[in-house]
Amino acid sequence: MTLALQILVTGLVTGLIYMMIALGVTLLFGIMRVVNFVHGELVMLAAFVVFAVNVQLGLPFWIALPAAMVMASVVAVGCQKLLFKPLNYEILNCFIVGIGASFAIKSASWAIFGPEPLAIPATIPGVVTFAGAFVAKQRLLAAGICIALTVALFLFLHFTRPGKAMRAVEQDHEAAILMGIVPENVYVIAFVISAALAAVGGAILGTLFGVDPEMGSDPLLKSFIIVQIGGMGSIAGTVLAGLFIGITDSITGTLFGGELAFIIDFAILMAILVVRPRGLFGYDV
Amino acid sequence: MPIPTARDTTRSISANIVSAGLPRRQLLGVSAVAVAALISQKPAWAADKTVVLGCSIPLSGPAAPTGITTQRTVEHALDLINQKGIQIGPDRYTIVAQFYDNKYVPAEAVTVVEKMLADGVKFIFSSGSGNSVPVVGKTTAAKVLQMSGASGKDHLTGPQFPYSFRVQPTNETAYALYPWLRSNYPDLKRVAHMNPSDEAGYTESEDRRMIATKNGFTNVANEYFKRGATDFYPVATRLTGVNAELIDFGGTIGRDQALAAKALRELGYKGKIMLGYSDAKSFVDIAGADAAEGTILFDTLAAPQNPAEKEFNDWWLGKYGPPMPSFAYTMYDWPFMLAEAMRKAQSVDPVAVSVALRELIFQGLFGEAKFGMKSVYGLESSITRDIPIAVIKGGVPVPLALVPWPKDV
Repeated sequence: MTLALQILVTGLVTGLIYMMIALGVTLLFGIMRVVNFVHGELVMLAAFVVFAVNVQLGLPFWIALPAAMVMASVVAVGCQKLLFKPLNYEILNCFIVGIGASFAIKSASWAIFGPEPLAIPATIPGVVTFAGAFVAKQRLLAAGICIALTVALFLFLHFTRPGKAMRAVEQDHEAAILMGIVPENVYVIAFVISAALAAVGGAILGTLFGVDPEMGSDPLLKSFIIVQIGGMGSIAGTVLAGLFIGITDSITGTLFGGELAFIIDFAILMAILVVRPRGLFGYDV
Repeated sequence: MPIPTARDTTRSISANIVSAGLPRRQLLGVSAVAVAALISQKPAWAADKTVVLGCSIPLSGPAAPTGITTQRTVEHALDLINQKGIQIGPDRYTIVAQFYDNKYVPAEAVTVVEKMLADGVKFIFSSGSGNSVPVVGKTTAAKVLQMSGASGKDHLTGPQFPYSFRVQPTNETAYALYPWLRSNYPDLKRVAHMNPSDEAGYTESEDRRMIATKNGFTNVANEYFKRGATDFYPVATRLTGVNAELIDFGGTIGRDQALAAKALRELGYKGKIMLGYSDAKSFVDIAGADAAEGTILFDTLAAPQNPAEKEFNDWWLGKYGPPMPSFAYTMYDWPFMLAEAMRKAQSVDPVAVSVALRELIFQGLFGEAKFGMKSVYGLESSITRDIPIAVIKGGVPVPLALVPWPKDV
């Protein structure tokens, strides 16, 4: 019972973090059909900003976090305007340019920040014990932030004009233009929201796992798996797939060990793609 | 009358030349020739010949901290070596290092080493087990001397690879560590092992389990994880369930050590943790002082203990500032050993230098160092020396012991 609870708690928290990062990926794809490979680097850059503001300047985490979101948004919009827009958001070109930009940002980060892994202290240190299961308070805080932001994103998309405009562009690009929506403006909003989600993910990962130039790679890979399973462009699919992958990782990793966990995860991904190539809630590209 | 400065003199000479009717373009040409002539004038002690040392090390990616530390250490060691040079007969040699980024990816490492071999490099340093094993066949066939900072066994050093040496005690540290643990922590009986799921991890695990058993310990778990994994809760959950009294992190390095220790403590593990190849400061920073407390650090020099270590420590802090990575100490001796072997062999032929390297007894940072372990691998190819041990107390590493290398290994 304790082991099952431990597995569930671990999986839920991990799944929520990866889900939030993946939401940024799926948002851009849903609206613009852009697979943004720079997303992982936004996670990383945001963590470095949090480190700089929180640790080096000594300011509170709650000031560092918005600073990271602003910086990530600026970089993301810069990428949109300078990299993706000139390519007319063509999926394959953006894919390749994104990979190149990702490598460039990562390499620059190694040169600028150096090789030493850095640490951001936990905002809430300590551990909570519940029915024999342990979880760090920082992880609970992370889970809370992820849930709050996911709810906020849902409310934004369904109950605000910019949110409705984003959904309109996602559902029918031409019809949205006929309704007076300017897609380019929607794209900017999408990039800002996507980057802000990545930044929060980076801040959370930084407090849990430390900061280094490679830290964005693993979450990006996980995000793609989650988005692929949930269905490219589907917010609901991403939420479900994020939790599913988190819990599956936890179950396989705990019960069968790290090696077998990767094989099982891969087998699940393959099975879903074979049975339903669009993912659980996706549509044809 | 004021004394003319160097700048005044230069101005004066330039003015004279210009006034003598030389146009500005010719003046520049004359200056360039003069500078070139100055540069080309060699002092009497200048190097006649150079030996290239190709280094395949991770300069990017998760293992970059070890690669960059290695690069800085080797550069400093070669600066010292080259000040005197290596006198071989009438020729004075210096060693020139070329650093290549293997990204800690075996395929990259193979490409890098193939390039070195094509360029005629005769002395190679390779960092990382997964990067060194795939190339040792190639370097052996080319009769190139390969020095590896890597875990490994007879698939890297042995009679079939006579020019391959391992310059850092890795999995073999267990030969010194476990007898020391048995004497100093007699209550510890149940040991769990945790290693990355790669060449180094499997080698480390195999040796450490074997040596732990020989020394009366019971191996209660053997876990692997993907190097660079960020969430250690699943593997830590498995490890906390086996009631281990000691968890040996074996070939786990860098940030993984800290994250694993942090996860173990968060999940309630109260036993001892032992790890090596670490930068103690970043380990404590990421794991947190509480989680790191009491961790035993093998082959880790917490603070300089002799003048040579202090000199190196002071140089590092002066050039790069704190922290001084303890890994740098472990990379310091081998360039000197290579240079000394060349001197003793009176040759830069890798075959002759290999023979001299095997016979060399070197006074290094940690005392006497030599290539040995013939009893295990069939050839004296793996470095043997005393192993410094530290322990984390109050968030900082404190020297604990200098464990002598066992005489029968």
